[in-house]
Amino acid sequence: MKLVIIDYGSGNLKSVENAFMYCVRTNNLKFSIEVTDNLNSISKADHIVLPGVGSFPDCKKGLQQIDGLIDLLTNEVINKGKKFLGICVGMQLMVDYSSEKKRTSGFGWLNGNFKKIKTSGLDYIGRNYKIPHMGWNNLQIKEKNHPVLENINENEQFYFVHSYALLTREINEIIAYTTYNQKIPSIIGKNNFLGVQFHPEKSGNSGQKFIYNWLSWVPES
Amino acid sequence: MLSTRVIPCLDVHNGRTVKGINFINLKDAGDPVEQAKKYSCLGADEICFLDISATNEKRKAMFNVISKTAELCFVPLTAGGGVNSLDDFRKLLNSGADKVSINSAAVYNPTLIRESSEKFGNQCVVLAIDAIENKIMPSGYEVTTHGGRKKTNIDVLRWAIKGVKNGAGEILLTSMNSDGTKKGYNLKLTKLISENVNVPVIASGGAGSPKDMVEVILKAGASAVLAASIFHYGVHSIFSVKKEMFKNGIKVRNHED
Repeated sequence: MKLVIIDYGSGNLKSVENAFMYCVRTNNLKFSIEVTDNLNSISKADHIVLPGVGSFPDCKKGLQQIDGLIDLLTNEVINKGKKFLGICVGMQLMVDYSSEKKRTSGFGWLNGNFKKIKTSGLDYIGRNYKIPHMGWNNLQIKEKNHPVLENINENEQFYFVHSYALLTREINEIIAYTTYNQKIPSIIGKNNFLGVQFHPEKSGNSGQKFIYNWLSWVPES
Repeated sequence: MLSTRVIPCLDVHNGRTVKGINFINLKDAGDPVEQAKKYSCLGADEICFLDISATNEKRKAMFNVISKTAELCFVPLTAGGGVNSLDDFRKLLNSGADKVSINSAAVYNPTLIRESSEKFGNQCVVLAIDAIENKIMPSGYEVTTHGGRKKTNIDVLRWAIKGVKNGAGEILLTSMNSDGTKKGYNLKLTKLISENVNVPVIASGGAGSPKDMVEVILKAGASAVLAASIFHYGVHSIFSVKKEMFKNGIKVRNHED
């Protein structure tokens, strides 16, 4: 199987590559991993990972600078049904738009938009809510039988760092939530494509389990 | 619910971990990659590397330390020490660091915070502030640089607010008066900053026991706690700190074996 990690100038490519390589190696999976911005390579891949750190508009701009990339992704994922994982801003890009800095459109694969996390009120021990939502948090799993959550329980924690959260009424597409002053969709997806607000590549053993599950997942066609 | 982070810090000199008090009488304390691996297995929520090499030439070893650690440890890595330019930022991030902390350079090159956060995102810009008590300052604390040796005549609270406005995504706040004393964090300073900025504040300097960590979280609102020596010398483990935090109603990750 061939997996591509899309290189569009986002900062944490190396971390994503390291974590996927480690997972493939330690589990003896038959995967080749390529970090690339080459459209031909992406169209030949079996699986696509879109990482992303930084701001939504910057990531969108980075993608636009590679001629034809966004159209290709939509074609591969939506029309051809190729397996896809968006991480953090890579996940945010899957929906209609984000209000970060200025309203910027995403791919529109799912309904919804991103708004700044609320900071009003105090947390359970009386502290102010800080932005970014930074650190380890657990999942409230909505789709208990989703293959990517096999052997992952609600006490396990994943590393988050983001300031904007998804607002959506399309409740069917939310696989898990996370709570930080508000309910934040932390895993979303449909059919062959998934997005995670957290960073599986930085989430220790739980992250490795998630990556393993995602790599092993065979979406129903 | 978000866990409160426990962050061990490794002092790195010429690519090796060192132990010493106030950077004097440095003793070789092994391979930072091995130690980071150990800390990450023991439940460290992030790992912080502080390069205390004196020259740029010797700092190159740090890139190697970061890249080797990033191949094996899948927790966030922060690198700092001697970061002066966007190029330093880029090299550390490309090596596998997730965040970069800047200290003296932010004072002497005030545009660096803005430039680095615009370029790499504010999630990876950590403003490290070394504060000392000074009654003349409006907040009672003054910013120092060069490991506390140089005063700047800058007020800590104003500096923190300005840093956040310029794009810092987190503040690593060290009380130079408490640092090395093992008598506990500076609660007044930590409370002052954490109540007045909207980004996470990491408390640093003075941790002597797990109870000190609990105190700075519950009484001063720290978002995370950082410590070096109490973990290095094996007096307290990350696990024992988390157990104490959990016992006091603070949510943590991996407080059980």
